[in-house]
Amino acid sequence: MSQTITIDPVTRLEGHGKITIQLNGQGEVEDAHFHVTQVRGFERFSEGRPFYEMPSLMARVCGICPVSHLIASARACEAIMSVRIPYTAAQLRRMLNLAQMVQSHALSFFHLSSPDLLLGMEADPKIRHIFGVAAARPELGRAGIGLRRFGQHIIELLGSKRIHTGWVVPGGVTEPFSAAKRDEMLAMLPEAYANIRLAMDWYKKIAGNFKPEIEVFANFPSLFMGLINEDESIAFTVGALRLIDAKGSIVEDGIDADRFTEVIGEAVEPYSYTKFAYYKPLGYPEGSYRVGPLARLNIAKSMGTPLADKELAEFKQLADGPVLSSFYYHHARLVEMLHGIERIEMILNDPKILDKHVRATAGVNRLEGAGQAEAPRGTLHHHYQVDDNGLIKWANLVIATGQNNNAMNKGVLQAAKHYVKDGKFTEGILNRVEAVVRTFDPCLSCSTHAFGQMPLELTLVSTDGEILDKVVR
Amino acid sequence: MKTVSARCLILACGNTLREDDGVGPFLAAWAEERFGGEPALRVISRQQWTPELAEDLAGAKSVVFIDCAANAEPGSVQVSRVEPGNGTSGLATHHFGAAELLSLTRELYGKSPHTSLLLTIGASSLELREGFSEAVQSALPEAFRVLETTVCDLLNSPNYRK
Repeated sequence: MSQTITIDPVTRLEGHGKITIQLNGQGEVEDAHFHVTQVRGFERFSEGRPFYEMPSLMARVCGICPVSHLIASARACEAIMSVRIPYTAAQLRRMLNLAQMVQSHALSFFHLSSPDLLLGMEADPKIRHIFGVAAARPELGRAGIGLRRFGQHIIELLGSKRIHTGWVVPGGVTEPFSAAKRDEMLAMLPEAYANIRLAMDWYKKIAGNFKPEIEVFANFPSLFMGLINEDESIAFTVGALRLIDAKGSIVEDGIDADRFTEVIGEAVEPYSYTKFAYYKPLGYPEGSYRVGPLARLNIAKSMGTPLADKELAEFKQLADGPVLSSFYYHHARLVEMLHGIERIEMILNDPKILDKHVRATAGVNRLEGAGQAEAPRGTLHHHYQVDDNGLIKWANLVIATGQNNNAMNKGVLQAAKHYVKDGKFTEGILNRVEAVVRTFDPCLSCSTHAFGQMPLELTLVSTDGEILDKVVR
Repeated sequence: MKTVSARCLILACGNTLREDDGVGPFLAAWAEERFGGEPALRVISRQQWTPELAEDLAGAKSVVFIDCAANAEPGSVQVSRVEPGNGTSGLATHHFGAAELLSLTRELYGKSPHTSLLLTIGASSLELREGFSEAVQSALPEAFRVLETTVCDLLNSPNYRK
């Protein structure tokens, strides 16, 4: 008799999803799926809106990474306008995106995943959360809060709002930067460096305790994709995409936003509202790939900042070629946070940052435009078509979570097959299967509110619908 | 970042696009105008209370949390004391209740405000629209009065004078 285990909702994620694990008559795992159970509809209801409204509209997709949507959307609009934005505007946007990356990575690492890393996968779920971290290692909790505030405060200083700023517009940004804000940001840097150092040192001490998880947390060969600069250093706001294979060879290079759909396709599965992106020449699902911090570090030859470059060299020692286990997304996030702080310092020390020319203007010069940026959790692509009046006729968003979707599903299956034996599971096993998804830090739908308490429920159901076992927490 | 100190911190929560849920931010904006220029008072308004606010709480001698209450009589205005306590929000992603936030503050920073009060306004409707239901709209004068009295008491209390 076959059985299904359901984890619904999966906890400590950005948004709400569920996991089902299908067992055969011998209690062995046959299949597993990660389901995204929400539908948003942004692409459809933006139709008919003026293109210049798109950045602010699209930023509402997400409450954690709205900056990436702002930037990818603005870049798509600038393709429609056929303008190049002023240097200072590009630098300010770069800083905004890095600040968002720091605060988002801090949320993922400290608030969502550090309970597993500090207290253990088998720890009592009653203490396996941020309160448990605060009680066990308050300095770690304070470091996480400090890094979150660092990123959020920079976003607020630049865009006047911590979330959903309207400061990024097609053509640049609405307001130039000021010396007073620059000096305030510079004063925040020493604490940010101290906090990321503390986290990095701590992670390196405990990572060795997770060798079994490293082995089975989405640890398999795949393609990796991310933005890269011309000098092959990591990029977040400009640059072109590079796709490498599991041995590190370049499969496709110089993919700018206009070429994206030529190279990347989207498949649909009946069990999820999130699509499954793939590299077209290999087809689906063979052409599935991973994006985000792990992919970016696998692709980049350098971080372009001295401290992060040392960390990247150490990271690349983890494997002969690309690092394949998704457990190392945690490590990669720390390296990227360090890089973000360093790069922000460099931008703040650029004298041109106070230039007053921060916006280019133009009307509709092309009827189609695409833009891309790196969100904290991976590549983000916006693609629009407009009519002669600049009203949106069609829009498509390819988000990072869709690009990681197949890898997340394969990872859930890999972990479930390893841990679930004879149809039996424990709370710790349940948590490990969830933790595979957490390594990717998927962003399902942060801006959707839910009322009331959302329990985590795991049920074991027979083929005739009989509930054989149930765990609720 | 340096912890910002305050004799009284107003910490409001709510979504202005969800009808009565927006009464917390509305009252926070009112307090900011009413007590404008009062250096001993800080006002913070958020859609959700997140762990980062623990640092603000650690620097406050007293706090007034403001939120709507979905399970109270619509339009009722109540002030109650809040004690640190752990709930189940740790399982969720980023939103905390007042008691949990106080608890986290104490764990992380070894201190929390001496006085912690929760001002609630009973909600009638949490639909997707701006503005308030009739019950909450009618309760606003009482909410202003209670908030003003509460904040004045905390600001003038000898316990919190420098």
